[in-house]
Amino acid sequence: MAEKIVKYRWIIIALFIIVTGIFTSQIPSVEIDTDLKSQLPKEMPSRLSTDKIDSLFGGTEMIMVILQSEDVLNSETLVRLRRLSKRIKRIRGVEKVNSLFDLKSIRGEEGALIIEPAVPKIPKNDMTREQLRKNIQENDIVYGSVVAKDFSLAAVIAMLTPQTRDEEVLNAIRQVIEEIPGNEKTWIGGLPVTRVEMGEYIRHDMRLLLPIGISVMLVFLFACFRQLRGVILPFMVVIVSILVSIGFIAMIGWKIHMVTVILPILLIAVANDYGIHMIAKYQEDNIPSNNFNPGQLAQRIFQSLSMPVLITGLTTMAGMLCLLGHILIPAKELGILAAFGILFALAASLFLLPAVISFLPRSKPVLDFSDNEQDRIPFFERLLGFFSHLVSDHPKGVLLSAAVLAVISIVGIFGVVVDTNPNGYYEHDNPTVRVSQLIDEHLGGSQTISVVYKGDIKSPELARKIDRMEEKILELDEIGTTISITRVLKQMSKALDNQQFSDKSGLPDSREGMAQYLELYSLSGDPDDLNKMVDFSYEHAILTARVNKTSTAVIRRVVDRIKDMVANDQDVFLVGGFGVVLADLADAVVNGQILSLILATIVVGVLVSLLFRSLTAGFIAAIPLTLSIIITFGLMGVFGIELNIATAMLSSIMIGVGVDYTIHFLWRYRVERNLGNDLKQAVRITLTTTGRGIIFNALSVIVGFSALFFSSFLPVQFFGFLVVISIFACLTGALVVVPAICIVTKPAFLNPAEIK
Amino acid sequence: MKYYFFFYLIFMTSFVNAQTELSAMKIVEKAQDAIKVKGVQGVSILTIIDEKGRERVRKIAQVTKHYSTDKTEKRLIRFMEPADIKGTGLLTYDYENKEDDIWLFMPALRKTRRIVSSEKAKNFMGSEFTYADMIPPSVNDFTFSMLNDENVNDIDCYQIEWLPVDEDIADENGFSRRITFVGKEDYMIRKSLYFDIDNELYKELYVFSIKELDPVNHRYRAVKMEMINHQNGRRSLLENTQLEFNPNIKDDYFTLRYLERE
Repeated sequence: MAEKIVKYRWIIIALFIIVTGIFTSQIPSVEIDTDLKSQLPKEMPSRLSTDKIDSLFGGTEMIMVILQSEDVLNSETLVRLRRLSKRIKRIRGVEKVNSLFDLKSIRGEEGALIIEPAVPKIPKNDMTREQLRKNIQENDIVYGSVVAKDFSLAAVIAMLTPQTRDEEVLNAIRQVIEEIPGNEKTWIGGLPVTRVEMGEYIRHDMRLLLPIGISVMLVFLFACFRQLRGVILPFMVVIVSILVSIGFIAMIGWKIHMVTVILPILLIAVANDYGIHMIAKYQEDNIPSNNFNPGQLAQRIFQSLSMPVLITGLTTMAGMLCLLGHILIPAKELGILAAFGILFALAASLFLLPAVISFLPRSKPVLDFSDNEQDRIPFFERLLGFFSHLVSDHPKGVLLSAAVLAVISIVGIFGVVVDTNPNGYYEHDNPTVRVSQLIDEHLGGSQTISVVYKGDIKSPELARKIDRMEEKILELDEIGTTISITRVLKQMSKALDNQQFSDKSGLPDSREGMAQYLELYSLSGDPDDLNKMVDFSYEHAILTARVNKTSTAVIRRVVDRIKDMVANDQDVFLVGGFGVVLADLADAVVNGQILSLILATIVVGVLVSLLFRSLTAGFIAAIPLTLSIIITFGLMGVFGIELNIATAMLSSIMIGVGVDYTIHFLWRYRVERNLGNDLKQAVRITLTTTGRGIIFNALSVIVGFSALFFSSFLPVQFFGFLVVISIFACLTGALVVVPAICIVTKPAFLNPAEIK
Repeated sequence: MKYYFFFYLIFMTSFVNAQTELSAMKIVEKAQDAIKVKGVQGVSILTIIDEKGRERVRKIAQVTKHYSTDKTEKRLIRFMEPADIKGTGLLTYDYENKEDDIWLFMPALRKTRRIVSSEKAKNFMGSEFTYADMIPPSVNDFTFSMLNDENVNDIDCYQIEWLPVDEDIADENGFSRRITFVGKEDYMIRKSLYFDIDNELYKELYVFSIKELDPVNHRYRAVKMEMINHQNGRRSLLENTQLEFNPNIKDDYFTLRYLERE
């Protein structure tokens, strides 16, 4: 094999150039997808029900423009609000606008029914202004939804037509705001805005993180090898694997999601591990006393390293592929992309590197065995020495401390909070977060939970049922406002002063009454107003509640409460809305986390068992992993880091990467035992030789992932932080806990006798 | 950019077509006169069809009388179908120079309410027809220009372009450009195209048949027409049956007392 690589080196290099070229050519067509709903499996109930709502009642997406001033009823603000509303209405992709000038005031005055905009005209003096204020306060439809109850905010809500391009509408709205300036503070929010901004942040991340990761890694590699080819060769593998895996996204028609931001960084951190080992071997062999030509050097590298590189590569890929157990589509995709990238890196390391090395003239030797390496990093030398003494002198103490640490961490795990709300992606002073806080506090809430009823909507019995449910839902503390057709009908009843032919709640007491109210509304109001509450054939009605908290845990609780309330109601068609999607997302994150965690640990354990042909080996490999998982989650609980879309993928990645160190240790330890060293002797030798390689390897991963600290997304930052912590825990586990276990339990598969 | 285009159109038409505009406006005025009938009664069937093909059908009886002394048009509409709104009545006094008076009678409430609505609902009974299609808007709100004559269903028509004089008028009428095809003989609109702010066709009106009600004064009514809305995928059909010219409709019809008779 090794000779063949040198023999066919031209073909190998050409092949890699062609394949990389093909994949790279696809990169320009990669698209970004920031829709949260599309991350859920198509068959997921909340996604289905929300799609159904869209098809029954038209688009539910909205962009909110909010003006903030001391009193929004001052004429200056109202004039601006009216101009904004008018101009926004004309934007293509805006189906309908809700504001003080568009929503209706339905009231009775001197025996007449008055239907007019909530603000029919701009008040000229204080008296008319206070009269208007009073009218608005009595108008359920606008008070606390398009105007804050303290009149500090007023909103123009643009309802978007389905399949509108977020960016186009948002840019048009931003331009309108620019053209209509004013003294009020202007906010712009809503899910489409969040998505556009998320897309901008993803692009920003992709542009920023890659150069940071690359520069950090270049410096790290140069510090390790102090030789240009020691930097360029492993790096070539990284670049090739990143290009190929990103090109792969477009090739199979996937899109870039928030979590995909992790992919290039992950490859920077992991894909060069194999190359690092090969360069180390190259430098080890390329010393003045040896007289190998480039071809021989290449062959030696392949012969001695192909096996361990292959095995650690396979366990890493296996860990990544365990993300397939995750319910979120982007997480599954990331698993496949990462595994594909690593497969390519593995192939490039095993074949391309030796092929290129065989061409390069011999470099000036870096290592001359004058102990200069020890001068360079005396710290690691001392540390490894300390570890080997600690482990061999107090193995039981080490295990006990590890156990105590694990128990303490378990307590922390109970504090882990699940949160999938997009607001959690950003710092608290981020405008996106501020806007949704304003909406939650003053404008009724930003997340919706909808109950859709099916039946004869004009029947007074069903209307009464919807009304009672609405009253019950409104009693929940977490609900800001609700809207439904019965709410509008009740308001009309009040305005018509219909006491004789209505029930206690104010709803008409006959089917005819219901029908005539609805007809009256379409005669005098905008019939489109009703489209969002009842469908064309009066067979479905939607009761929409807005949640005024952003925490997914709270939303989950409210969703469950509402589902309980309607559980036995035959007329309830479905419960849906973005709030339900978020709640389901939270469940999916937890389930995905647990499933991929178990899967990854088992798969990696099985692989290690196969490698050493011993189940015990698999169990021992799982111990540092488990410890690392417990500590990581414990820290998440203690520091209040939320489990969300990004951090939920931690475990699989960590297990796939983190097991390498244990494999390296056990592999070398068995060799040393086989050479006749006793238990403690073998630990000491392994730690001071392979131990250094393990530390380098782990450091390169930590250094690579630390680029994620610069991400625009908090979850991605936290992900970076947690990977660093957990890889560090895996490293310590492999260098301290595993050796202690070997000394204490004397596993049979590591006994020299067993090997023969 | 689109706004520039819009203003450019106004600018061009007001100068270049100053001469043709006069005649274009004349035609529009004649078209408005052609439907001014002293008194008319009939039954209309309004069918609204949504994008999924579901239908909403309304059957209404209507009497209209024009009082030339004070230029007021009085109109009584009574719902006949569907059953749950049967008997609902709407009485409108359409004044030339002040807000309309509207009274509504709801049988389920057994009482009449005066309705004060500061803005005319744009859509006629929730259909795709707008009130502007029913009641001709003021010619002063638009500039007109003649385009090439065209045949619509074998009828020789003038093609006239309407441009609202400002954005508010455009908002009120719901279009920023309209092209009407007016029959040369009877001055009745046969076809109308509505364009939105991006100058994209979003509504089409087709008039299928016309009836001459007043042969002396040459006054007509459209019998069957359809409005297609490309924006929301809906369309509406209006069929006027039993149309009858009657200049002597009893004034009694246009009273609250009559409105409340079920």
